[in-house]
Amino acid sequence: MQLFLEQLINGCALGSLYALFGLGFGIVFATLGILNAAHGSYASWAAIAALAAVEQLKLPFIPALLIGVLAGGLLAVVVDQVAFQPLRRRGTGMLGALITSIAFWIILDSLAGTATGQQSLSFPRGSYPGAMFHLGEIPLPAMQVITIGVMLGVTAGLHLLIRRSRFGAAMRAVGWNQTAASLGGVNPRYVVIVTAFIAGATSGLAGVLGGITTHNVSFLLGEGLLLKGFAAVVVGGYDDVRGTAVAGVGLGVLEVMSAQYLSSGLRDGITYALLLGFLLLRPRGLFGSLGFSRA
Amino acid sequence: MKSWSRRIASPTHAALAALAALALQGAPAAAQGLAPGDYKVGFITENTGALASAGQSYWNGAQLAAEEVKATKYLGGASIVLEAKESGSDAARAIQNTNQFVADPSVLAVSCCILSPVAGSVKPIVNEAKTPLVIFGATAAGLPQPPYVYSMTILPGPKDTATAVKVVDAIKPKTAAYILAADNDAFKGRMNATREVLEGKGVATAGVVNVLTKDTDFTAAATQAMGLKPDVILVYATQGAAAGAITALHDRGYAKTIVGNDVLSPAPIFKKMGDTVVGVPFPVSFSDAIVETPEAKAFVAAYQKKFNAPPDIYSAQGYQVVWFIAQGMKSLSGKPTREALGAALAKVGTIEHQVYGGEVMKGGQAETTGTLVVSWSPEGKIVPWVAPK
Repeated sequence: MQLFLEQLINGCALGSLYALFGLGFGIVFATLGILNAAHGSYASWAAIAALAAVEQLKLPFIPALLIGVLAGGLLAVVVDQVAFQPLRRRGTGMLGALITSIAFWIILDSLAGTATGQQSLSFPRGSYPGAMFHLGEIPLPAMQVITIGVMLGVTAGLHLLIRRSRFGAAMRAVGWNQTAASLGGVNPRYVVIVTAFIAGATSGLAGVLGGITTHNVSFLLGEGLLLKGFAAVVVGGYDDVRGTAVAGVGLGVLEVMSAQYLSSGLRDGITYALLLGFLLLRPRGLFGSLGFSRA
Repeated sequence: MKSWSRRIASPTHAALAALAALALQGAPAAAQGLAPGDYKVGFITENTGALASAGQSYWNGAQLAAEEVKATKYLGGASIVLEAKESGSDAARAIQNTNQFVADPSVLAVSCCILSPVAGSVKPIVNEAKTPLVIFGATAAGLPQPPYVYSMTILPGPKDTATAVKVVDAIKPKTAAYILAADNDAFKGRMNATREVLEGKGVATAGVVNVLTKDTDFTAAATQAMGLKPDVILVYATQGAAAGAITALHDRGYAKTIVGNDVLSPAPIFKKMGDTVVGVPFPVSFSDAIVETPEAKAFVAAYQKKFNAPPDIYSAQGYQVVWFIAQGMKSLSGKPTREALGAALAKVGTIEHQVYGGEVMKGGQAETTGTLVVSWSPEGKIVPWVAPK
């Protein structure tokens, strides 16, 4: 039983990273209509920026984390304005944006590889909270507690922002129809830029926390999150961040439990079988609304 | 003309003529040695991709050796020039690179491959083209096939077992758990060989925890391994996975002995892992911190000077590739062909210039004598492993 509970917590922590990454990925898709393959690169670059802040600027954990998040957000805005805004102006469809995002994915990952010397780096021990708590007999590393807590906080914050604020209403309006939104007094360009920043920042948050907990800061970091984050969005539903959070954590738990009790070789197979099942049987996901057209 | 024909027709004169012909063919060439000039060796680098860290080390070692061969005039007026093509550890690109090298008549030999499947896919091409291939990193059994395929990779399997036995003799565990990169057949074979020996010594197997080479999160695997409550955990995985698994075990508070493998030896591993790898025993055939022979000391100094970093086992293997090819070339005369070089390499028994303190070729496979069981010190030096008290 103790082992089961330990693995359950491990799964929740891993799934929280998928969920955090998926939140930004889903917002971009729901609001901007872009299936952004470069989204994983924001996570890689955020982790690289945070690591540089720790190693070069000797900053402690929280400021380094904020620098990583800021880097992820700013990179997302730059990519959006350079790559997607011209396409948006010309009214090209999703395919053009997807192909462009793949090009940026390759470029950003290649640059990240150069920045890290093609190596997997890691945050120095002592530069992040390394305490071990105990819940009875169950060990609970501080970074797992932080990751789960941050995911819950970001999910709640984003849910309130999207559902209960004027800006959230503007985001949903732009996601539905940009022309109609501008006729209603919304500045679509402003909404797009802020949305891109939020998406990049949440991806960056996942990148920094993932880079610390997995001891892997490299150009491959974002790739690992990309497919799992996409699965979390599909399973949870594109237009509800709560669904993405629940699905992300569920995927993490499923992955860990299948490795513990079945076989590590089946982990990815089970995840993608679930993804395929949802695409076929419930394309709007667990929490997605019936009226959402992009699914 | 008629008289000449009659003379060589007699048996005595025919024998003399044959000897003279042999002398004419051999003597001047032996006197000249290898014709002066640059001889190209195609080197398929792996300086990008998941194995770039090791790939860069192989390439650095090879470059240094090529420079030394030229500077020391080991081949007289001849020198080895390395022509690099990047594969990124991708089989398709390695095959394309090999085809291009084979099609270039100025390329005398090819060197490649960290991954065994990639080396296996290149092997038929060089055999067909009768071009010597010297492997620098792949470990699968059956890859060497003289006269055209050789491996300078120091096979880690026997050294793993020797290390595990030394550790077991020192700490006397009752149970052992294994963390295995299940998608890597070479590690599976190495683990099974060690497991068999340890079980023979009365160390029961508590369980095997499978991970995958591409995994990045090892928290669950560490939890699973610790749940088996073993006295010792042996890690059989590639560099990234081994580093991740050992770090996760320490992060979760595992305080008993962890046994690693040769992938822990490069300096970037200590830089990445820091104190989590301190005291973890692993085998090495070469370490810049434990060198005794003049050749090894000179290699370490020259490498440090050229690359501003200490050499690792991969640098040593890349270095030995070029010296092995040079030794084969040295025995040839005139302008050597690929076939002649292949035959010459097959005759190499003992490597003349090596950094291990003893290296021989057996069936196309390089072997060293002895195993150093070492660990990282808190200061980041490789030191002989000492059992915990």
